[in-house]
Amino acid sequence: MNIKKLGRLALPYLVWMLVLVGIPLVMILVLSFMKTDGVSFTGATWSLEAWQEMFSVTDPTNLKILLDTFTFAIIATVICFAIGYPMAYIVARSPFSNKFVILVLTIIPMWSNSLLRNVALKNILSETNILDSLLSRVGMDFVIRFANQDQATFISIIVGLVLTYLPFMILPIYTVIEKIDESLLEASMDLGANPARTFLKVTFPLSMKGVTTGIIMVFLPCFSGFAIQKLLSRGTVYVLGSLIEANYIHDINFVSMLSIVILFLIFGSMMIVNKVDKEGATLV
Amino acid sequence: MAKKLIELKNVTKSYDGAAVVNDINLYINENEFITLLGPSGCGKTTTLRMIGGFEKPDAGEIVLNGVVVNDVPPYERPINTVFQRYALFPHLNVYDNIAFGLRNQKVAKEEIAERVETALKLVSLPNFAKRKVTNLSGGQQQRVAIARAIVNKPKILLLDEPLAALDLKLRQSMQYELKEMQRKLGITFIYVTHDQEEALTMSDTIVVMKDGVIQQIGTPTGIYNEPNNRFVARFIGESNILDGIYVRQNLVRFMDVEFDCVDTQFADGEPVDVVIRPEDLDIIDPKGAKLIGVVSSSIFRGVHFELCVMVQGKEFVIHTYENRKVGENVGLRVDSYEIHLMKVEQGEH
Repeated sequence: MNIKKLGRLALPYLVWMLVLVGIPLVMILVLSFMKTDGVSFTGATWSLEAWQEMFSVTDPTNLKILLDTFTFAIIATVICFAIGYPMAYIVARSPFSNKFVILVLTIIPMWSNSLLRNVALKNILSETNILDSLLSRVGMDFVIRFANQDQATFISIIVGLVLTYLPFMILPIYTVIEKIDESLLEASMDLGANPARTFLKVTFPLSMKGVTTGIIMVFLPCFSGFAIQKLLSRGTVYVLGSLIEANYIHDINFVSMLSIVILFLIFGSMMIVNKVDKEGATLV
Repeated sequence: MAKKLIELKNVTKSYDGAAVVNDINLYINENEFITLLGPSGCGKTTTLRMIGGFEKPDAGEIVLNGVVVNDVPPYERPINTVFQRYALFPHLNVYDNIAFGLRNQKVAKEEIAERVETALKLVSLPNFAKRKVTNLSGGQQQRVAIARAIVNKPKILLLDEPLAALDLKLRQSMQYELKEMQRKLGITFIYVTHDQEEALTMSDTIVVMKDGVIQQIGTPTGIYNEPNNRFVARFIGESNILDGIYVRQNLVRFMDVEFDCVDTQFADGEPVDVVIRPEDLDIIDPKGAKLIGVVSSSIFRGVHFELCVMVQGKEFVIHTYENRKVGENVGLRVDSYEIHLMKVEQGEH
């Protein structure tokens, strides 16, 4: 069978993509430039109101939210990378025969519901927490004290995001490092590169694919999600996701605009990461 | 006099209690092409890896230029390796692969460019600098791997079955090229292979190994003509091996017939192993021949015919240019200097 004939098998998929992804996306884009009464085109007019509300300079509330969303997502991603890479590297290069078991141990918490985990985390990070009430019975106390409420909120959210998404960083990086041929490292040493240089010039460039995947897998949900931020800030912090959650019933145009913004920002970040990766593959 | 460059003294290496390399002693001269030859699992690769610094010997010493280097890591040894599966860096192009070692030594940019170019010319791959290594054929990757190693001008080049993955024609031409390169560069080559023909073609010295023990060290002709024991005789080329008795000086008896011989280092009446190479047996008229037999099979091998002749229930392999019919009665003749006698070893047969 030739490729052309096989290609026809993709037809149902293409139709599916068009109907369930393509058309809705176009709809959202169109809706963001209109003023409508719910999801209905009766009495609809073209309007930039939604976009003006978002990027208004006179009232930068929404811009501030956009900035916060970015900040949380980027800091969480960087920390996930800083913890995840060494962890993946150490496990992949460890002499244990069953490395995957060690890895699974780090992933098991992922199997429980992330909301529940973050509720528990909220409890632990607050002044009256379950650990403290247990430990106080043996005369110890466990309270994490923050300088002020803003700091508490910020740190809690970052911790929550990192704990939730860390496995998504570790797994892809582990997979690529594990697959790097031992003989390449030997070749590098043979050619006079000490272990540190071997890591910089061989291991790290060869693991870039996993790093890229990890960054995307962590950054995307951190940027578009809102539940963790909402929960751990007790509803005081707004991110783009929370704006959508708060408005999707009564202002479909505003929410459409937000979706488009998120979509473009994510698209943009992915392009940057991809570009960095490609250069990493050829330069070094 | 050739200068000793590297020496292995009583080197032993075990994995899980089993000795892979067992107490070997070996020295390698400057500018020598030496081949470690043996079947898989004989410890030849492990020996090479110990010289390269990738494995540490459990006991014994590796001496390089008079200095014990047991604990010197690979990146500090003046040794480079051509790996079996080349181990080219897939994220770098041909140029960067070859320049890798020079950059580690902080060689100036212009000099790197010059040396890489020279190396590429030497392996006949000019204009390949910008190519991706993943798009090269096996033979081309092989050449890049060699260029990547020799560009550093190492004292010693280790080659771990570098031609194993290539097809016959390419392998043969690479054998010549490698030998040529070694002559031109004046680098000591330590070559590992299980292919006896390769070893005979290229080496100045061959080290035959089996079960982690050196069986014989010698020149290709020396090893071929005077194998130390049955293993070497069988491993290097084909041979007819017979039980014999050393009757007295210059006289040996096998197949119930006495033959003149030239070996002298045995006691009268001592049992010996007799080796006769297939090409050293001549087919003659049965009348007056010492050995008479019947041709049991004949195979055309291109240059020669390979005949099997049954003599008193023992099969002889003979290489000859004239064919004989199966079932024909023939006589066999062998010159005295072509009969090689070996000490009988315990546990051999």
